[in-house]
Amino acid sequence: MQGSVFGIGLGLAALGVGIGLGLIGYGAMQGMARQPEAIGKLQVNMLIALAFVELVFLLTVFLAPAAVNVGIQTVAK
Amino acid sequence: MDLVLQSAQTMIASEKKAEHITIVGEFFYIGLVIVILFALMAWAKQGFSKKTFTNPMAKAFEQLYLFIQNLCVGTIGPHGGKYIPMIMTFWMVIFTSNVLGLFFPHTPTASLSFNLAMALIAVGYVQYEGIRSNGLIGHFSHFAGPKLPLMMIPITLMIFVIEIVSEVMKNVSLSLRLFGNIHGGHEAVTAMNKLGESVFVPVGAFLLPVKILTCVVQALIFSLLTCVYLSLVTHHEDDHGHDTAGAH
Repeated sequence: MQGSVFGIGLGLAALGVGIGLGLIGYGAMQGMARQPEAIGKLQVNMLIALAFVELVFLLTVFLAPAAVNVGIQTVAK
Repeated sequence: MDLVLQSAQTMIASEKKAEHITIVGEFFYIGLVIVILFALMAWAKQGFSKKTFTNPMAKAFEQLYLFIQNLCVGTIGPHGGKYIPMIMTFWMVIFTSNVLGLFFPHTPTASLSFNLAMALIAVGYVQYEGIRSNGLIGHFSHFAGPKLPLMMIPITLMIFVIEIVSEVMKNVSLSLRLFGNIHGGHEAVTAMNKLGESVFVPVGAFLLPVKILTCVVQALIFSLLTCVYLSLVTHHEDDHGHDTAGAH
């Protein structure tokens, strides 16, 4: 039970982060295609944005087990 | 607060369960990284007395230096050159230990404590540079947001508290990102190896290309974010210059 809750949560988090990363890549690609001379700046900014979005998923991975534990404890009470 | 504490406990417990790495083992891997770095740099130093670099390792380090210089000057501005040594150190240590993680079961960047130490050094250095370029009062008034009328003091106080919290969270985000990427990569390889255990195929090996990409990107991200934080606290003198330049 606990594992399945964890798995569903991870899947949802991955879904959202995937959409976010895709949007960033889409925007960066469009910008690069329109303005090839700005590729350097765009790449750097894209990587920063990617890192921030990725961090959300990592935080989910680290917080989810604890959240599931707390939820189960409160339900048991 | 309870949640955060518990998550930290779970994290530490899972880390202890996953790898039985002792403090001696940790220092072994850190020492390995240091030895590799010093060996490479000693090799690169061989051709320094010549007029042109014929040593391949010296050429490679020159390219790396140019890359870091571009990163610093492009992100921080014209005065970014003096931060190159720090950023380059971060890049080399993180990249070397990430690549080490491809060959060894453990690596310094796959442990949270090493990453947290590095993040503390990075953010502490940022504070030091901010104080050095703006003065103690200037640096801390930087956290209080824009200058508001006297009536708005509660809002300024709130902004100050939030900025301080976000400054502390920089440590957490820097260290957790690196730890999660490297440690998570190891966990993913272990899990995928379990998939192919019955047919004796190391399926996890197919993750190696992604992991090589992660090695470079994570080292880049850590140095890049340190650069961005540095540019945020040291941009004041430059800002006035830009303003006057714009007014002309």
